[in-house]
Amino acid sequence: MLLKNKTILLTIFIIMNLASAAQLFGIERFPRPQFESDYQQPRMTSPDPRAATYEYIDIAALLAALSVTTFLILKKRSRRGVFVMMLLSIAYFGFWRKGCVCSVGSIQNVAYALANPDYAIPISVIVFFILPLVFSLFFGRTFCAGVCPLGAIQDVVILKPQRIPLWLNHMLRGIPFLYLGIAVLAAVTGSMFLICRFDPFIALYRMGGDWGMVSFGVALLLVGVFIARPYCRFLCPYGVLLGWLSKFSKYHASITPDECIQCKLCETSCPFEAIDVPVTEKPVESQTVARRRLAIILIVMPVFMLLGGWIGSHLNKPLSRLHPTVRLAEQVNNENAGRIYETTIYSRTFRASGETMEQLMAEVRQIEHKYKIGGWWLGMFLATAAGMALINLSRRRRQTIYETNHTHCLSCGRCFDYCPRHHALKGDLVQT
Amino acid sequence: MDKPNKNQPVSRRTFFGDTLRTLSALGLGSLVGFGARKATSEELVWQLDPDKCVQCGQCATECVLDPSAVKCVHAFDVCGYCKLCGGYFKPDAKSLDTAAENQLCPTGALIRKFVEDPYYEYTIDESLCIGCAKCVKGCGAFGNGSLHLQVRHDCCVNCNECSIAKACPSNAFQRVPASKPYLYRGVQRKDFYPEK
Amino acid sequence: MEQNKTSQELDRRNFIVRGGQRIAAFVLGLIGASLLPGQKQRALATSTPQTQPKRKVENPWEYDLESLKKIDPALITYEEIESIPAEQEKVTALALDDSGTLYIGGDKGVRVITDKTSKRWVQLPQAPACLAIDTNGDIFVGLKDMIVVYDKKGTKKTEFHSMGESSYLTSIAIGIDDVFVADAGNRVVWRMNKAGALLGQLGEKDERRHIPGLVIPSPYCDVALDQNGLLWVVNTGRHAFEQYKPDGTLVKRWEKTSVKIDGFSGCCNPTHMAILPDGAFVTAEKGLERIKIHETDGTFRTVVAAPSQFKEGTVGLDLAVNKQGRIFVLDPSQKTARVFEKK
Repeated sequence: MLLKNKTILLTIFIIMNLASAAQLFGIERFPRPQFESDYQQPRMTSPDPRAATYEYIDIAALLAALSVTTFLILKKRSRRGVFVMMLLSIAYFGFWRKGCVCSVGSIQNVAYALANPDYAIPISVIVFFILPLVFSLFFGRTFCAGVCPLGAIQDVVILKPQRIPLWLNHMLRGIPFLYLGIAVLAAVTGSMFLICRFDPFIALYRMGGDWGMVSFGVALLLVGVFIARPYCRFLCPYGVLLGWLSKFSKYHASITPDECIQCKLCETSCPFEAIDVPVTEKPVESQTVARRRLAIILIVMPVFMLLGGWIGSHLNKPLSRLHPTVRLAEQVNNENAGRIYETTIYSRTFRASGETMEQLMAEVRQIEHKYKIGGWWLGMFLATAAGMALINLSRRRRQTIYETNHTHCLSCGRCFDYCPRHHALKGDLVQT
Repeated sequence: MDKPNKNQPVSRRTFFGDTLRTLSALGLGSLVGFGARKATSEELVWQLDPDKCVQCGQCATECVLDPSAVKCVHAFDVCGYCKLCGGYFKPDAKSLDTAAENQLCPTGALIRKFVEDPYYEYTIDESLCIGCAKCVKGCGAFGNGSLHLQVRHDCCVNCNECSIAKACPSNAFQRVPASKPYLYRGVQRKDFYPEK
Repeated sequence: MEQNKTSQELDRRNFIVRGGQRIAAFVLGLIGASLLPGQKQRALATSTPQTQPKRKVENPWEYDLESLKKIDPALITYEEIESIPAEQEKVTALALDDSGTLYIGGDKGVRVITDKTSKRWVQLPQAPACLAIDTNGDIFVGLKDMIVVYDKKGTKKTEFHSMGESSYLTSIAIGIDDVFVADAGNRVVWRMNKAGALLGQLGEKDERRHIPGLVIPSPYCDVALDQNGLLWVVNTGRHAFEQYKPDGTLVKRWEKTSVKIDGFSGCCNPTHMAILPDGAFVTAEKGLERIKIHETDGTFRTVVAAPSQFKEGTVGLDLAVNKQGRIFVLDPSQKTARVFEKK
């Protein structure tokens, strides 16, 4: 497999080299006029893409930003430092690099590469995908705190964070799972890169772009004044992965540098509602009841997953419309049936290409089949996510201190300043 | 929630935490391993194949940049140096001169220069070109197809997914290695000489 | 996961409410996903494309050639009566001999079609660029830079010498003694005898003899002999027809540049030409794929086939005319020879 891929790549390179050599020697398709004057034919110019070294600079910048942010959070416990890192991220990854490739979007490249053997994925993309995840597994979501340009731009506009109702919070937190599932499905089937298409802030960083996406970005920032980091919490598909790994992180940021004195000062400090409060009261129901419920959930889970998968697989037709070929087939069909009278550039190009309707429909069936299989996975994934939510709900909590929720905590460091122990240790409390 | 609780037996929790962490690390590691097998150290950039291009005009409107990173380029080797250039003149041009009302290009980016009777040279002012492909269509239909579109890499910001590629009706866009970033006309096309 | 103190109290009611919220989120999400693209899903049924005229969704930057291709149906006085398959993957040239036998050149050689039952192949090393048939049945095949002559059985008779590196032969006209070969690469028409000896050249710019010179921007330049033995050359870059004596004297010429029906459009048209028994010209254009008839003096007479009858972008519509005035059009897109007759 390794050899085969390399061979294919090599062949492509050789062909391309040959082509450019031909270009160099000026092979002509049809002899151009023999000029009597001493006319000099201009040369074609070929401006180069960004030099490859920049790719390594980007990787180095990512690694440095992650390391510094992690150091600032875990060792220095410095919110101010994180803030500076955010500004740097906005400047470098945002305005200078103009957003691509970002870790959030790299999910799709990885998914696409897993499903399509022909696609050679650039190393920089792999690094952008994996590095924040590895950091998250050990140190929590420090990537979200000070490295992600999408998060940073939202973080700097948090001015009047409001608490949102618990039920709404829970429902909205389901969206990223769905977004992740559908985005991966769309990438795997080669339909589109959904996350890139609906990247809300890229237009701002590029200072121009699709009107709809600019207004979406601006709207998110306006909402973000009151509801902290709405994209990160209620949309970001990469946040799902980071959250999973962060949950098991070995050295996660904690509110207190040493011990919790249960002062409750930090209780309202988190704009992301990611602080778990200690269990102070005795549970209302008996342990047996709770255990039985948990057992029932665990038993029902497989059924639940199968049901989800079955539903997902039956959504394949509507979902497959994410693929342009399916939309084209629908358009052409509707034109043929006389249901619509306006042709589109796509249907006209299809008709001009000489491809038959049967070929197109065969392609569509193939795509729908991919979505059928993908739909099973999507449905099972979502059912599992929902089931896990129920399990988490049913688990007996034994927490005794104020602690960040490792899944949802973005390691922003805001709560540090609320903790008296933090100041005591720093020695900046006025002794009385 | 998963932090070891001091009142509870620590060992079991820590054990679970460590196991899960190790499993996650394994998962990530295998992903890296799989990725590395297929990885290329070369960056990929977007380019369009002029032979697939149908000149729909969407390169001008779909690019995230304004004006578009797609520009018209000229394969001079293929050009007929025509007096009546199908890419330069509107079909109903009153006279064959450089008056703006005769020009097909909406921004005046195609520049016509007299060489010698009856030959004229056509060059592109890329700072004016918006990549609409009107001239490309005219040149392809009436002439040799020497005018063609290319993604210009001094403009292109290399989006992870090119939005023009997504809108392209003929799938003309593809990722190419950054070291060979252009697919010029006039070298790959084999259909021109009938015997080849 | 909860921050409120109330969240610690878990009883059945609480569990159902909050669990329900979580499940509802996913269910709502799935429903949302199914509605994602926003439009109603319509049944995808295979049906053959109908090419009824439809209104376009306009793109502001698309160069619309369609409007130029519209031709008043009243002007079309010919109809297609037959379509003869070329039986080749690529077709490049077409010719008729005096007896009405059709020759179609392509990647497999030359298909000789006398009628539906009598067909044969003449094998060639490569697809011919142009074809002409002598009165004795000899097949003159123009390759890129040389002429090769085959007898009617398909045996190679002679091979003329190459006309040079930049040569690009596009058309052959055979007279009583002379062979005229259009060379688009060198922008000249070679005059040879039937053994391949070069006798002279026509069409070069010569101000003394009032010859404007051939302007050939693309590899199309057609020649044909009229009833008087005079050679007509299509000066495509000037949209002109020029009549020469065999010695190279320019007898007369006319030119008509126009996208309208009465002239020729683009940089270099018409690409192909044939002379009808009454001396009028049948012309084929690229860009606007149309077949028309012009009088000897250039006046527009009628339309044989409109652009709508060809696939967009078709080039190389080689022409031939038989004694009855039927027009044979080589269609490289359909890979057929299409026969048109007056309605």
